[in-house]
Amino acid sequence: MSFDMAELKHMFLEEFDEQLQLMDEQVLSLERGEEPGEAVRTLFRAAHTVKGSSAVMGYEEIKELTHTMEHVLDKVRSNQLTVTDSLTNLLFECTDGLHTLKKQVEQGVEEYLSIAQLVSKLQSFIQPASSAQEPTSPSSSVQSSDPVRKGADEDVADSMESIGGSGTAYHRGLSLDEQLKIQEYEQRGWHVYVIELHVKSDCLMKEARMQIIYNEMAASGEWVLTHPAMDELLTMEESVGNELVGLYACEGTAASIQTKLQTMTDVDTVKVNRVEGIELGSIERKEAASKETSSASISGSAGGMSVHKKQTIRVDVDRLENLMNLVGELVIDQTRLQQVEHTLNQRYRNDDSIVQLEQISDHFSRVIEDLQDQVTKVRMLPIDQLFNRFPRMIRDLSKKLDKEVEVVLLGGETELDRTVIEEISDPLIHLIRNALDHGLELPAQRVAAGKSAQGRLTIRASQEENQVVIVVEDDGKGIDPDRIRQSAVQKGVISEQEAEGLSERESIQLIFRPGFSTSAELSDVSGRGVGMDIVKSHIEKLNGIIDIASTVGQGTKFKIKLPLTLAIIPGLMVKLVDRKYVVPMNHVMESVRVAADEIQWLQGQPVIHIREEIYPLISLHQHFGIDEPVQTKTHKSIVILGMAEKRVALVVDELIGNQDIVVKSLGRYVGDVPCISGATILGDGQVALILEVSGIFKI
Amino acid sequence: MSEAHSHQYVEITVDDGKYALMIQDIHEIIKIQDITQIPNSRPHIKGVINLRGIIVPVISLRNRFGLPELPYDKATRIVVVNLEDDTVGIVVDKVNKVTYFSQVQPSPVQSDDISGEFLSGVGVTDDGLVGILKLEEVLHQ
Repeated sequence: MSFDMAELKHMFLEEFDEQLQLMDEQVLSLERGEEPGEAVRTLFRAAHTVKGSSAVMGYEEIKELTHTMEHVLDKVRSNQLTVTDSLTNLLFECTDGLHTLKKQVEQGVEEYLSIAQLVSKLQSFIQPASSAQEPTSPSSSVQSSDPVRKGADEDVADSMESIGGSGTAYHRGLSLDEQLKIQEYEQRGWHVYVIELHVKSDCLMKEARMQIIYNEMAASGEWVLTHPAMDELLTMEESVGNELVGLYACEGTAASIQTKLQTMTDVDTVKVNRVEGIELGSIERKEAASKETSSASISGSAGGMSVHKKQTIRVDVDRLENLMNLVGELVIDQTRLQQVEHTLNQRYRNDDSIVQLEQISDHFSRVIEDLQDQVTKVRMLPIDQLFNRFPRMIRDLSKKLDKEVEVVLLGGETELDRTVIEEISDPLIHLIRNALDHGLELPAQRVAAGKSAQGRLTIRASQEENQVVIVVEDDGKGIDPDRIRQSAVQKGVISEQEAEGLSERESIQLIFRPGFSTSAELSDVSGRGVGMDIVKSHIEKLNGIIDIASTVGQGTKFKIKLPLTLAIIPGLMVKLVDRKYVVPMNHVMESVRVAADEIQWLQGQPVIHIREEIYPLISLHQHFGIDEPVQTKTHKSIVILGMAEKRVALVVDELIGNQDIVVKSLGRYVGDVPCISGATILGDGQVALILEVSGIFKI
Repeated sequence: MSEAHSHQYVEITVDDGKYALMIQDIHEIIKIQDITQIPNSRPHIKGVINLRGIIVPVISLRNRFGLPELPYDKATRIVVVNLEDDTVGIVVDKVNKVTYFSQVQPSPVQSDDISGEFLSGVGVTDDGLVGILKLEEVLHQ
């Protein structure tokens, strides 16, 4: 039971998160002064969805807040309220409140954020508008002192009032959500009926009886709304009357509904009328439908109002991980199969069965390759998921810093493995903050420098072969290499002599050095924020590369290259003595064989000279505590490793070749080991360790 | 002490001492196989093995007991155990039998050399004493 709750909570939070993101985006677009119609509708739906699920989960604060938001939005939608700055700011406050509540739900706190203030602010928007409305019908409305509740009842009352009238009159009082529902039912070919039903006056526990009737009907159709509303039925103070009135949609005929209801226990009289020709006045069908599809593809669920919705299902991430592991097993088996096939082929070259085996093995390889592709794709998410968080964050931060920023997000459709997206989020946010804080100038400074007052921050994602490139670029003041050099010397990160020898490019790279920018006051001198070394190591952990280019006065550009997935990577297989190791391919610049006498010594360091470049030579033997083999060969095999602009030459005993490998962790028990990032299982069942290139650079 | 009857143990040999592991902690027992050493890992970790597609770390009980390593032979086994979420292989010189103890005594407070901290008790059998291993101590630190 408790497990179920945990799962439900998890699902709720996931949905909540999506809807919140959607809300943030829409409020932002309202603030930018874009045409409010669509944004308001999306906001309304998001608030409605959250209201529904939070009510089910019993999160009263969230329900209450979204409920009130829904009402304000409804007024905007029906042109009773216009979008103003104060409204968008309030909506931002509301989403902030919801973010806080979400965190509190995650942490499972005892006491939730008080929403009273937000609710009353929201109500101050509704109040004047609702008083201008027509007086409610006293007969069918449940009077309540709560103005929000009252608003809701008015809607129902309105719709109930017009029952029996023409369809057009009827729908006027329906909320957008209800109208959309009806539209959807009609597209399904269902009919919409008004049901008026009286339970016997001697019926005990009328509320429960109505609930049962409601549920039984819900099994073969759907209720659009009822009066009294079902969710209020059991909590209502006053006792209910005998009457249950509602809008109900199903496939069947009026007569069949009539019969069904008539045969239910305690039902006295039943009246069923078909409602036809409901025109959805203010909403353009087409527009609503197209909006549905796009919002469905963003959120995967839009509160059960699907019109031509993309077919999607939610899948537990663990299941995907398991699937990926199984594919990994297959990839390994396939390599083994190929090896066996190869051996047999040499032994029994002309045997028919061997020819068949070869065909099967080939086909098997192709199928597995496809399977691997597909499973990898399933794990991919568009980077939009991450990008969508940025505009709101940038807006808040730039307001705080008094800067004007135009945000350009490009390539949001680029897909990345979900684990990579999760891991890259923090480093990217850090880069963006830095760009705003230290890169872009204040409007006055920009104007003085002959630039537009508004700075520009571009975040761009694209796929290049097997890698994803993310660029964060600003048109701010850039990084001054001289000042970087000076402060690096001051902080003792490098010596004066070292500083002398650095090119401009190399100087800028200093910001990635640990110890360079660890204090805030230094960051002001350097013009760049704290913790760039952390950003760098984080990206390197993902087998990624970060690079920087900057021109004084023109701006700074960070370029991050990441592998598409972390589960299966291309690797270069090498041998140290009798053991195989894997070097992740994205760090391999080239592999070469050089004559042993080409190795030279510089300042006590072995180096190798290949085509104009001098590389320091690194041998892992000593570091790994393995004996170097007796040198009988005249040539050495060398792998040139690259990380950002740095290059080293790794000496190996044998180059074996390229192979896709399934990355496996060494596990918690083994823990972190320098220079080793994980392991893989080879075709022959042997375990090969995967070298961590960033670790090798630190030797 | 009477509950000791209900527990089944697997008796193993390391050096000239006999030890026992609770049978429910044991995942499986396999012959010694190719172990991939992990350079610069903790000293008692011998390396990792491929247990049907799962990477399992292997530790040396000899190393834990401060005994010199011996070359593996036909009798050498890896006892794969589960402790909480970890699956770990333990290299032992020999696996003797499944057994139970009619009497379990608390482990000697002042242990002579190796085993004090690693033992949860001592099983008494007709063939002599058997140290009952405390798995969490053997595996950790």
